[in-house]
Amino acid sequence: MDMFVHIAEGFIGMFQKGGETFVGLVTGIIPTLICLITAVNAFIKFVGEERISRFAQKCTGNIILRYTVFPVLSMFFLTNPMAYTFGKFLPEHQKPAFYDSAVSFCHPITGLFPHANPAELFVYMGIATGITQLGLSLGPLAIRFFLVGLIVILIRGIVTEYITKAMMKKREAQAA
Amino acid sequence: MGNYRSVQVTKGPGGWGGPLVIRPTDQKKYIASVTGGGIHPVAQKIADLTGGVAVDGFSSKVEPEEMACVVIDCGGTARCGVYPKLGVLTVDVTAASPSGPLASFIKEDNFVSGVKADQIHASDETAAALPTDESAAQPKTAKELKDEARAKVAELQANKPQKKPNFIERIGRGMGNVVNIFYQAGRDTVDQVIRNILPFMAFVSTLIGIILYTGVGDFLAHVISPLAGNLIGLLIISVVAALPFLSPLLGPGAVIAQVVGVLVGVEIGRGNIPPQLALPALFAINPQVGCDFVPVGLTLGEAKPETIEVGVPAVLMSRLITGPVAVVIAYLMSFGLYSGE
Repeated sequence: MDMFVHIAEGFIGMFQKGGETFVGLVTGIIPTLICLITAVNAFIKFVGEERISRFAQKCTGNIILRYTVFPVLSMFFLTNPMAYTFGKFLPEHQKPAFYDSAVSFCHPITGLFPHANPAELFVYMGIATGITQLGLSLGPLAIRFFLVGLIVILIRGIVTEYITKAMMKKREAQAA
Repeated sequence: MGNYRSVQVTKGPGGWGGPLVIRPTDQKKYIASVTGGGIHPVAQKIADLTGGVAVDGFSSKVEPEEMACVVIDCGGTARCGVYPKLGVLTVDVTAASPSGPLASFIKEDNFVSGVKADQIHASDETAAALPTDESAAQPKTAKELKDEARAKVAELQANKPQKKPNFIERIGRGMGNVVNIFYQAGRDTVDQVIRNILPFMAFVSTLIGIILYTGVGDFLAHVISPLAGNLIGLLIISVVAALPFLSPLLGPGAVIAQVVGVLVGVEIGRGNIPPQLALPALFAINPQVGCDFVPVGLTLGEAKPETIEVGVPAVLMSRLITGPVAVVIAYLMSFGLYSGE
């Protein structure tokens, strides 16, 4: 009998621990998150999609801006997954690179702007929870995540554009 | 006219939506399988029963207008919503329910999930043709209606100021507008929180509870810490996750990355992994991001079929190079992070 009590207590204990964690997350993260996301959502509605499209288009000519500012704008304003529709502004050989670049930013952006991809927030939050537990501030991590993300999407865009071009050339050569 | 037959697809265990009646036509004869590698058995069975043509949407592109239906394996948020939004009947082999930013397009008459081969049955032909067309058209008409209504409201708002409203009226209207936008933004936000964030928090909390309480954490610590605790280990993780045949499988809904993230987070919290490694770890666990979604993402960008055929391998190959590079950059950038505290 004692054994059963033991098992039952252990069983419930797991979920009590889980419940504590849940309450911690809900009271610790959700209120800030709701206010932040609401403000950003409102801001996006105020600015309007057309204005963003016009501005974004101006960034596509320059290779540096094309794989930094352009994907960041599309991710910030259109959010995952509609951000990839901005690929339509680019010539065909740059579309895969833009997609690669934009999709790679859909996690680094969540540290500072969780509205862009709330469904996948835990890629960042999971690791960030550990930092919070140590009593450290999340700000430095979020900012560095964002900045390194920028560098990475630039590299990724350039590399993917190069590979795409090479593959397209090879294909044309084969067809000819 | 081809001799196409119709099938009825019902939801599987734990699934959502449906039943859908699928009947290809000469214009819509393709059963697209966007399931990351080959034609899914469910797509093949639908094709066999209906006389439609099953194609691998991952390696060759099909226009949404030519799809009789699409078979996906998405447990996350992206593909689930994209196809219903495009007006394509969507059969999800994963038991997913509407979520994500496109959840409003996922309806019982254009989406069915948890489908296995057992859920597909040949159905009566006469009952079939009409409902299929109707259900495919419905989400669009609903959207059109909304757009119309919006246009009308905009027209009304645009017309009124011409009657020279007085100062107070103008302020009142302006304020109303601002409040409305904030209100809608708040509603969208709470919607997101309830639909996406809270469920995942519940899942993650349960996971953390089990890890902490049972001591599984100690076991995992022995497995993960050596890898996630230093640069070489992180590089190994990133290379494995970026392998072109693995990355499309690890991608869906970022679930793998989210779970591994939680595990690493728990170890950081316990002091087994130094906190500054959080930065490279974030990149190490995620070089596969979006690899499952390349054809759909490119379709959203209005890419041509040839571009998609080249684009998918290009992105997958690029990740093998840029995945580890990202970890190294993040590692270098993590110097000084949390070291003074």
